Amino acid sequence: MLFPTATFAIFFMLVLPLSWLLQPRGERWRPFIIAASFVFYAAWDWKFCLLLAFSIVWNYALGLGIHRSGDPRHRHVLLVLALVGNLGVLGYFKYYDFFVTSTHNLFALVGLDVPLDTRSIVLPVGISFFTFMGIAYVVDVYRRDFAPVGFGTFAAYLSFFPHLVAGPIVRPGELIPQLSTPRDPRYVDTSRAFFLIGTGLFMKVVIANHLAAHIVDQVFGAPNQHSSLEVLVGIYAYAVQIYADFFGYTNIAIGIALLLGFAFPQNFDAPYSATSITDFWRRWHMTLSRWLRDYLYIPLGGNRGGSLATYRNLMLTMLIGGLWHGAGWTFVVWGGIHGTALVAERWWRGRPSFVERPWTPGRRAWHRFVTFQVVCFAWVFFRADSFADARSLIERLFTAWGEPSPLVTWGVLAAIAVGIGSQYLPRRLPLAIMARFSRLPVPAQATVLALGLLVIHAMGPEGVAPFIYFRF
Amino acid sequence: MDSPIREQRRRRPRPRTGEGGRRLHSAGSAIVVSLAGLALAVLLNAPGLHKSATIQPEGWKRDVALDVTGPLESLSGALLLDRPRHALKSALGRSHDDDVDTAVATTTTPVGAPVSAPATPPERTRFTPKRKLGVYIAGDSLVVVPGESLLRATAGNRAIAPEPIDGRIATGLERPDVFNWFTHIEDVMRKDKPRAVVLMFGGNDDHNFMTGVPEGRQVGTFGSPSWRAEYRRRVATVMETVTRNGAYLVWIGLPISRDSEQTKRFDVMNTIVQSEAAKRPGRVSYLDTYFFFAGGDGGYAQYVEDSAGKLVKMRADDGVHFERPAGDLIAAKVLERLEDRYDLTSWRRG
Repeated sequence: MLFPTATFAIFFMLVLPLSWLLQPRGERWRPFIIAASFVFYAAWDWKFCLLLAFSIVWNYALGLGIHRSGDPRHRHVLLVLALVGNLGVLGYFKYYDFFVTSTHNLFALVGLDVPLDTRSIVLPVGISFFTFMGIAYVVDVYRRDFAPVGFGTFAAYLSFFPHLVAGPIVRPGELIPQLSTPRDPRYVDTSRAFFLIGTGLFMKVVIANHLAAHIVDQVFGAPNQHSSLEVLVGIYAYAVQIYADFFGYTNIAIGIALLLGFAFPQNFDAPYSATSITDFWRRWHMTLSRWLRDYLYIPLGGNRGGSLATYRNLMLTMLIGGLWHGAGWTFVVWGGIHGTALVAERWWRGRPSFVERPWTPGRRAWHRFVTFQVVCFAWVFFRADSFADARSLIERLFTAWGEPSPLVTWGVLAAIAVGIGSQYLPRRLPLAIMARFSRLPVPAQATVLALGLLVIHAMGPEGVAPFIYFRF
Repeated sequence: MDSPIREQRRRRPRPRTGEGGRRLHSAGSAIVVSLAGLALAVLLNAPGLHKSATIQPEGWKRDVALDVTGPLESLSGALLLDRPRHALKSALGRSHDDDVDTAVATTTTPVGAPVSAPATPPERTRFTPKRKLGVYIAGDSLVVVPGESLLRATAGNRAIAPEPIDGRIATGLERPDVFNWFTHIEDVMRKDKPRAVVLMFGGNDDHNFMTGVPEGRQVGTFGSPSWRAEYRRRVATVMETVTRNGAYLVWIGLPISRDSEQTKRFDVMNTIVQSEAAKRPGRVSYLDTYFFFAGGDGGYAQYVEDSAGKLVKMRADDGVHFERPAGDLIAAKVLERLEDRYDLTSWRRG
């Protein structure tokens, strides 16, 4: 059930009033929202619900066991068991065929034919997201950062449909207290919710879909058929497409949760205005970045073991982060590029001669430009189907200048300009728009909402392509 | 006993404004604005919603959607609420987006009748960088990956000038209301005059429901004689439209699918296409892809070993679509067919 569809609109229009009606009584509301979330998830394939149910039961039971046990060794064993269960399921569904083919092909390189069977496993939607949230819960309980809650509350936390299939990855401490207390129906941040839903729909339906259909798919599909200018613009267009797609999804998810009375953390903060790769990761998919920091980088040792250990931990975190995005070596390389850049930045700043210079407008613009180029270079590997394709694309970038570029249209350039330009808007502008909207009478708010939907629906293509991050 | 909400209200009064001075509203207001806004948006977008309902797959969801959106479209028209959408579409140059066109042009050749074959094989026309072979690649979503492979494979040959791939998701020959390939291909052939056409259809045609059926004709369930006759008529129509003015058509057959029932349905369509192609030797070539992707046991295989013994993923996770190596394999075969028919390389020798 994709957000920008009539089916979801009907679903949500039923869930929204019922949810508020049942909110004062948590014992009624929780089963309701769990059931609604399972209906939402079953719209892809009801069989996936079994996996979600397993994840709920497994993490809840082990979280409870860890909490109740006073023996550190026993707690540790239970934690390992919880991690093995979570990562085992994720590994099987997402990486089984990848590891089998990689192993087979490694042996084939030295002339050995190892009979290994692939399984053609269908990847359940959102498995990476709810697995990470399950891990966060048991680890927080293990660290005694968080005490286990009732089964219903935990099930609602893991299955809550606004974040279920593509995040944001919400920490237990952020959402579970909200799920445990009835939401106050007098104060709902409706203007922010509608603003987020509206901008999210626009970014996905208009910007992301337009760029995908008019340049990105063609350039990445057959780079050697396109001019250097088309390839260059195609790479920038993909950078905007993936941002618009994921930012759009996240905005809609946060807006929907807000209408139901729940606050989700921010997931993007103008990432293409970042002045370094370190800064980029503070702004891009922020809930994943902090998950990787808290549950991977810091347990690996973080920056506590000297420079070399820090570099190693950074690189490992980014390589695993790359693999999280997809079962392919191109994703690992994408993570490796970011890891290398992060290590280089840390090394540069760690030199004894390094002096932090003040940010002049020119210096800031230069840093933003260079950072954006590095991010776009890494996107080539993220989007390309293979290394051969990535190489072909990069080669073409330098070898076909002056050829006709019919794909570089005003529409494509405008969509890129909107996608990047939106990140440089003053922060007070959306706040002012939301404040103005919030002061309109109810009929006027409904009219503005309807007109926004009219424009988005009319400008969008027929049908809606799935969100890119669903496959992760 | 006080409800938790009442207790909460007594405990801590919350500010009525959020960041930036925006007013917070009640849940009731959120529900009213959402419902009223959506209701108005539905009326404003009624023509588009009705089209979306029309082109849905057959079933109760489509029936319900049509029952709802039909009256809404009438109401929207009566209240002139459809005007802003028409104006917007017109300004975007997409005035016909909401039209539903189900016309299937009648083939010039009676169905089932043998089509005259040329007495001698057609001359192998020579193309050069100055006189390029225009190639049009089209079909449903299945054609996209082989199409991209074909574009890559022909990139080094300056005698070939392929058009961008015209692959349209969820379309086919069964449902011209979703996308009318019959009029579209006719338009392309008239305007662009490609000399070679590569088509792949059928991935979405293995269903009972057909639109654009001539008045008075009844079409039975998928695979029934009447269904086969109508599908044959459509395949023949496309073949005639393409080849009427001398273009050469390579029609890519449907592959083996993970779902064995679907494979059987694909076989029905492949048989029709293959027999229609056989009636047009030298003009239409049918490329059978079935065995390209069969495993050692003759059944479906997602991964296949290449000549170097490397396991290569041929089919997408959905069990139907192609991965890049599969596309490359099909493209190589298509290119062979084109080279059989046209001289595309002698220009290199001067």
